[in-house]
Amino acid sequence: MRARGPLSGPVVLILVGIVFLIRAISPNFRITDLVARFWPYGLILWGVVAFIEVCIRFLRSAPLPRNGVSGGGWIAVMFLAIFGSSVFQFQRPDNWLRQVGFQSGIEAFGDEHQYPIEEISRSTGTAPHIVFEDFRGDAKISGTDASVVTVTGQKTIGSFSPQDADKANTQSPVEVVTDGNTITIRCHQDRLSSRTSIATNLDVSVPKGASVQASLSHGNFDVSSLSGDIELSGGSIEDVRLDDLSSGFKLDARSTQSVHCSNVKGAIELRGRGSDVELENISGEVTIGGDYTGTISLRAIAKPVHLESMRTQLDARQVNGYIRLERGSLDAKNLVGPVKLSTRSTDVTLAGFTNALDLQVDRGDVELRPESSALGRMDVHTRSGNIELALPPSAKFALNAGTENGGIDNQFGDGLKESSEGRGARLEGSIGNGPDLNLVTQHGSITVRKASGEETAEAQPSSGDSDH
Amino acid sequence: MALFVQAIRGPILLITVGALFALHQANIIEISRSWPLILIVVGVMKLMERLFLPPVPPPFAGGPRP
Repeated sequence: MRARGPLSGPVVLILVGIVFLIRAISPNFRITDLVARFWPYGLILWGVVAFIEVCIRFLRSAPLPRNGVSGGGWIAVMFLAIFGSSVFQFQRPDNWLRQVGFQSGIEAFGDEHQYPIEEISRSTGTAPHIVFEDFRGDAKISGTDASVVTVTGQKTIGSFSPQDADKANTQSPVEVVTDGNTITIRCHQDRLSSRTSIATNLDVSVPKGASVQASLSHGNFDVSSLSGDIELSGGSIEDVRLDDLSSGFKLDARSTQSVHCSNVKGAIELRGRGSDVELENISGEVTIGGDYTGTISLRAIAKPVHLESMRTQLDARQVNGYIRLERGSLDAKNLVGPVKLSTRSTDVTLAGFTNALDLQVDRGDVELRPESSALGRMDVHTRSGNIELALPPSAKFALNAGTENGGIDNQFGDGLKESSEGRGARLEGSIGNGPDLNLVTQHGSITVRKASGEETAEAQPSSGDSDH
Repeated sequence: MALFVQAIRGPILLITVGALFALHQANIIEISRSWPLILIVVGVMKLMERLFLPPVPPPFAGGPRP
């Protein structure tokens, strides 16, 4: 019987075949996305197949390969690792290439040719549903009192010859189709070859009651003064700007450079991947999931906030002040609790929060200045970092603080009993009848001090809610 | 047995590298912090290989016997 070759080769061949078959059936399927996200699992699968193969050969007493993975195999692994991690890094919205301003812009496709889009108007009801079919370009949507949808704008086509640009322009007309209460705006960019660079920039005015559903493969999205729901999905969106909305907003895009929302009465839900987020004056619930890796800034949020970023999970019942989360630091002021926060490699500063606090930090310093009127239970744990707790001089509480490696500084006097344990220390005791404050650090010092009058005044919320 | 340990060295290392990169991409632990695990796995595999290898006779020293 002829000796069998390794099994991993055919398995890889089958997998590659399946991937390209899916690509052929579904054109939206992107192989680079798949490789970028799942290449480490490919290595694991390869390892498992090779391992099983060696085990089978061993049990059958067949000759074993000298190495389970050949030299050529390791070279393939290296190329896969370099390619996979580069694509993964490049797909991040805040990657260094984008940061230095490199974008595959229209300039790379010859000269820019501009074509105005003639005004298209359609009369509608007071609350139509506007659908933007997937296109590349900017969309500026504003609500008006008239019961009419008006579309104008201009197209920018990158081409080496004016004739090609003219041809691309006639091939990609902007079309507005009415079907009952739904108005669909099509840019027909899919009729052009993938090498033609085009951006259709639309200026659309709609009745105030309109709801919008849009898919943008590249460009900016700007909406103002609407009372219907807004839903945006797409590929690589640069800037999303929303102002004065009476309803909610949902975003789920492959990458979004920045999201700015202000004066929104409904809920905001951000999914997908992105960089910076700035939300201000939001009356609805805020959920930031997915992977937003830039600076997240939230100000004046009247309903619960649920934030889940690369390293941080945060839940708060309301934000009267602000939350600012950037790489390495989280700064928040006037949160209405209960607040639940868990983060890695981040310094945390919380000022003027009310009610219970559950804080877990992997590595980072913690600075807490709770509000005096509604001191709640605190469970604070950091693996490596200092904890500083500034309490109002009149605060009543039961403290249980401990460090395994570090010292304790107590400014509340003899009411609290200090003891040393090995290289660490403990501070326990009660002052008045108040909530439990548990502070634990494995490596770091603990400071429990009296907040200055200035700090106490600063930490008072502008409008409060402390019924817990 | 030594040959078996030698043959599974590659697959085990591949699984380890794949798992570390998967954890890195899932933002659980960065590869810059977890890489020493690769050294540990290589070390353990080498150790197992040596434990199972048959003892090698000492080389002939040469020269006149005392």
